[in-house]
Amino acid sequence: MSQREGSLEDPQADDSVSLLPHLEAKIRQTHSLARLLTKYAEQLLQEYVQHQGDPFGLPGFSPPRLPVAGLSAPAPGHAGLPLPERLRLDAAALAALPPLLDVVRRHQAELNPRVPRLLRRLEDAARQARALGAAVETVLAALGAAARGPWHEPSAATAAAAAAASAAGVFPAKVLGLRVCGLYSEWVSRTEGDLSQLVPEGPA
Amino acid sequence: TMDVYFGWRHLSQVVGNKRMRMTSSFQWLLSTFILLYLMNEVNSQKKGALRDLKCVTNNLQEWDCSWKAPLGAGRGTVYEVCIEDRPRSCYRLEKTNIKIAALSPGDHEIRINSLHDLQSSMSKFILNERNVSLVPDTPKILNLSADFSTSTLHLTWNDKGSLFPYHSNVIWEIKILRKESMELVKLATYNTTLSGKDAVRHWSWTSDMPLECATHHVGIRRYIDCPHFSGRKEWSDWSPMKNISWTPDSQTKVFPQDKVILVGSDITFCCVSQEKVLLAQIGHKNCPLIQLDGGNVAIEIHNISVSANSGTNVVFTTEDNMFGTVVFAGYPPDSPQKLNCETHDLKEIICSWNPGRPTALVGPRNTSYTLFESFSGKYVKFKRVEALTNESYQLLFQMLPNQEMYNFTLNARNPLGRSASTILVNITERVSPHAPTSFKVKDINSTAVTLSWHLPGNFAKIYLLCEIEINKANSIQESRNVTVKGVENSSYLVAVDKLNPYTVYTFRIRCSTETFWKWSKWSNERKHLTTEAIPSKGPDTWREWSSDGKNLIIYWKPLPINEANGKILSYNVSCSSNEETQSLSEIPDPQHKAEIQLDKNDYIISVVAKNSVGSSPPSKIASMEIPNDDLKVEQAVGIGKKILLTWHHNPNMTCDYVIKWCNSSRSDPCLMDWKKVPSNTTETIIESDQFRPGIRYNFFLYGCRNQGYQLLRSITGYIEELAPIVAPNFTVEDTSADSILVKWEDIPVEELRGFLRGYLFYFEKGERDTSKMRGLESGRSDIKVKNITDISQKTLRIADLQGKTSYHLVLRAYTDGGMGPEKSMFVVTKENSVGLIIAILIPVGVAVLVGIVTSILCYRKREWIKETFYPDIPNPENCKALQFQKSVCEGSSALKTLEMNPCTPNNVEVLETRSTVPKIEDTEIMSPVAERPEGHSEAEPGNHVAVSYCPPIIEEELPDPAVDEAGGTAQVIYIDVQSMYQPQAKPEEEQDSDPVAGAGYKPQMRLPINSAAEATAVGDDVDKTAGYRPQANVNTWHLVSPDSPRSTDSNSEIVSFGSPCSINSRQFLIPPKDEDSPKSNGGGWSFTNFFQNKPND
Repeated sequence: MSQREGSLEDPQADDSVSLLPHLEAKIRQTHSLARLLTKYAEQLLQEYVQHQGDPFGLPGFSPPRLPVAGLSAPAPGHAGLPLPERLRLDAAALAALPPLLDVVRRHQAELNPRVPRLLRRLEDAARQARALGAAVETVLAALGAAARGPWHEPSAATAAAAAAASAAGVFPAKVLGLRVCGLYSEWVSRTEGDLSQLVPEGPA
Repeated sequence: TMDVYFGWRHLSQVVGNKRMRMTSSFQWLLSTFILLYLMNEVNSQKKGALRDLKCVTNNLQEWDCSWKAPLGAGRGTVYEVCIEDRPRSCYRLEKTNIKIAALSPGDHEIRINSLHDLQSSMSKFILNERNVSLVPDTPKILNLSADFSTSTLHLTWNDKGSLFPYHSNVIWEIKILRKESMELVKLATYNTTLSGKDAVRHWSWTSDMPLECATHHVGIRRYIDCPHFSGRKEWSDWSPMKNISWTPDSQTKVFPQDKVILVGSDITFCCVSQEKVLLAQIGHKNCPLIQLDGGNVAIEIHNISVSANSGTNVVFTTEDNMFGTVVFAGYPPDSPQKLNCETHDLKEIICSWNPGRPTALVGPRNTSYTLFESFSGKYVKFKRVEALTNESYQLLFQMLPNQEMYNFTLNARNPLGRSASTILVNITERVSPHAPTSFKVKDINSTAVTLSWHLPGNFAKIYLLCEIEINKANSIQESRNVTVKGVENSSYLVAVDKLNPYTVYTFRIRCSTETFWKWSKWSNERKHLTTEAIPSKGPDTWREWSSDGKNLIIYWKPLPINEANGKILSYNVSCSSNEETQSLSEIPDPQHKAEIQLDKNDYIISVVAKNSVGSSPPSKIASMEIPNDDLKVEQAVGIGKKILLTWHHNPNMTCDYVIKWCNSSRSDPCLMDWKKVPSNTTETIIESDQFRPGIRYNFFLYGCRNQGYQLLRSITGYIEELAPIVAPNFTVEDTSADSILVKWEDIPVEELRGFLRGYLFYFEKGERDTSKMRGLESGRSDIKVKNITDISQKTLRIADLQGKTSYHLVLRAYTDGGMGPEKSMFVVTKENSVGLIIAILIPVGVAVLVGIVTSILCYRKREWIKETFYPDIPNPENCKALQFQKSVCEGSSALKTLEMNPCTPNNVEVLETRSTVPKIEDTEIMSPVAERPEGHSEAEPGNHVAVSYCPPIIEEELPDPAVDEAGGTAQVIYIDVQSMYQPQAKPEEEQDSDPVAGAGYKPQMRLPINSAAEATAVGDDVDKTAGYRPQANVNTWHLVSPDSPRSTDSNSEIVSFGSPCSINSRQFLIPPKDEDSPKSNGGGWSFTNFFQNKPND
């Protein structure tokens, strides 16, 4: 059964017109934020690649998508999940991203200390991911869905694992940073897509 | 036999050792000896002798000698070995070797007796140390370890030094083999000296290939070079091989990891992988793979280029994975440049430097700096900052008590190397103080102040040099240097004198040390007003008598600030004579004049200025004015805003000269300002901001004589002359038929704005609204100009005008500053009645005379005339004579129908002499506007006017000059007599009237005919008209006054009356209506005009 058709937890099961005005405003606001961050995440990825040297950024360069401790890539079946579930996953990923982005920023601070724009973007990205995650959780709470699961806890272990990966060498750290930036972009984009289904007028 | 044997053996050994050096010439000798030796061997064995006694040693203390048993000797053979020169040195043994203590240098005889089956044989050997070989024991590797991070092998072993004499040299040879195929990659030697004790030796080697990528095997052997041993020295055997291989213990697959290397060096990267490596690249460049054991591969990079901050990526790609490392290629730190150490406060030393060449290494690989002071042994470390390349770095070093000399070494270090710079400074000579703070100014008196400031620092042991900058408004900046002793409390105080009272000063200060190194920055500025002092001088004074001569007005100028020495509060004025002293009440400051009623006695006026501190010395001036009869007013003009006055030296003037001036338009007593100059001066420049251009000023030069002033010169002048702003008012006093008397008034001085240089008077014919005096200066020929340079002249009579003519008069004044505006007037001259009468009578008389003559001629020639003009039929339609007229008048002389010659008697020629150039009444100014243009008919040579017969056609107002010229020199002008008496009409009205409608002459037939229609008909086809017609288009006839412009244009001097072909035309042709008649522009007509060539005619 399609989740979009029957689940009571799916806000889309109810007509969007039933959303309260303040909730609708919040959803719109969160969606706008996600859309903005999607653009920022792409810029961050470009900026990151630009400062890692060749062959980063060259066509055909695709390091293996290694798993990142505490953060998984959006699953292929993500779109088929019920919307609240998707939003929960979005919120969890967004909560896991800031410490990873901090690790990447610290590593880049040693590797590219004279590229303040990249460092500032990484710092901003961590803060913005945290803000978007909180906003998604607020939307979830307003929709009556449980916001946090046990996987939501911002894990110090995640950051420690990432830091350990960075310590393994500069190249693995670069690849980890690329992976984290890519995941950030994917999750923010995915969140924007999920939120767009909550917006009354539909996807922007 | 043994001797021979050993001798041969020795020889063979020598030969063996040196055979390589033998020349070919001795090869045959060698062969001979070898042959003899072999024969001896065979013989010996046959006899059962021992052979091949060989001795080796591995420690120089014990020799191990062995020999070969004779043929047939087997188990049970006992050998008795005796050393001949050693007591109790016979040994029985059953083996073929014996270890004996090392023998002393020299030959020793050894007897070996072999006992076998009760048979004995004895052999003798001569043994010498030189025949003993030193073969050290095989060394053992104690430990072989690897530092994989640096690809370095560390090898340790025991040198067994206790076995050999002290100071024996040992050569160690170490070989390193790589991979399973044992490729030799390194064969190194390592020299040591034995210490007499066993010692563990270390040796390290750095591999060009990461040790992780291949197994490395290591072996060692030695060679002992004992100087006291004369025997043969040989290498030991190779030690057992030890190897190093890497056990994968992490995710790292590519080696080396994150290495920092020098730009331009070579490096090998390898990848440990179970998968097949497909591709290796550094940056964006692919590299050829070098296969190692297993699936490992390596790449070699030569002459690596400098890396970016994030390093150079090296990536190995397998089918489904990617491994990489980063290499940082950079430079070792450059020597710190421009290392400089100084102090601001003698408490803390600041050392700054420039890092020099960038290392291309950042972050943890960046250069670290340590500043070390050798005298104290203290150091400080530089905290890493990611500064830009060319920024200066700084380190602070706390000064040490009682230490002035500092020897700093700045060490720079990064993973690629280190460098250093040193500086030795006496810190008391390297003081660059902070900017002084809390800078204050306090008064001491009116000319001195104290300056205080705070200069943080411990300067108690040195002197400070401070520069005080003193600024005063409108004055040159002044700098004073002061030296002050340094104090501990950082507060300093100096006095500054030689200032001006009541003056605003701006102070600021900066300091250095007496042993100058650098100035500090300037302190903040402080403005200060010094206190007042008594005025240093009395005010500059002048006096004027009032207009009624009863009061004396005392003027004085405010004292300049440098003389007032304060704010002037009031003035005291007093006058004294021999008899009394009169004092006025105090006059407050803004007032700078006082009036005293005095009699004509001589008084001395005294003026004193007072400020809050006291009074100035009095300024005195005498009231008496010495008359001067020899005085005339002169003129002067200034330059810019200045005017120069000069005078002759007058020895009678004992005190100073005074020049006073005022605006001439002011009433007496007039005083704008005055200036006093010393008595030895003969010129001065008067300059004042009050001077304005175009204003007349009066300047008076007074000389001072015996305390009385005498007016010496009176000068009227302008700073700059301007053009008058008004025109002179002028009126016409009198008008006659040919003249006008004009009178004008003076221009007021205020409006004249300069010295009047004359008037320009313009006049021309013209009426109001139609004639404007436009372009006076443009050289118009019809304008006459009179330049009146006699400025006393106030009237002007303009003569030789035409009667009853409107004239436009313009008058303007001028100065050296330019022309003033114009004032114009229109005047009509009166009518000349006598001339009119003459003008009527003479033409009538002439007409009558012409008629009579014509009648007589016609009568006498009537037959010829009849034949010529009226052959048989006086039908005008058949008369070809009618066809000539127009063409003749158009200049076609080819037509013979009407010959001009028969008309010759009708010519009337009038001669007169005229000036070719229009007359200008006043020759002082030749105005080009008075010139008439050349080519005008009146200017033709001869000046004769021919009144001649013209074929009866008149083209008035011919618009085409060609037609005008074609008309030739003869034309007939029909004069409208009545128009002479018409009111003067305006030219515009004339233009509006239809000239055709006003045609004067009418044909004798078909009257009346619609003139317009007839004009067209006549013009188109004359033949169609019935009856007699005049030979021209009468519609084009206009009556023109001779003095009209149009008559001028059509050669009005050539005047004919009537046509000889018009038999009834002996009369003036009068138009039917006045308004239809052509009018002259001039509006008037006179006989004199007719005969005289007027400029405007």
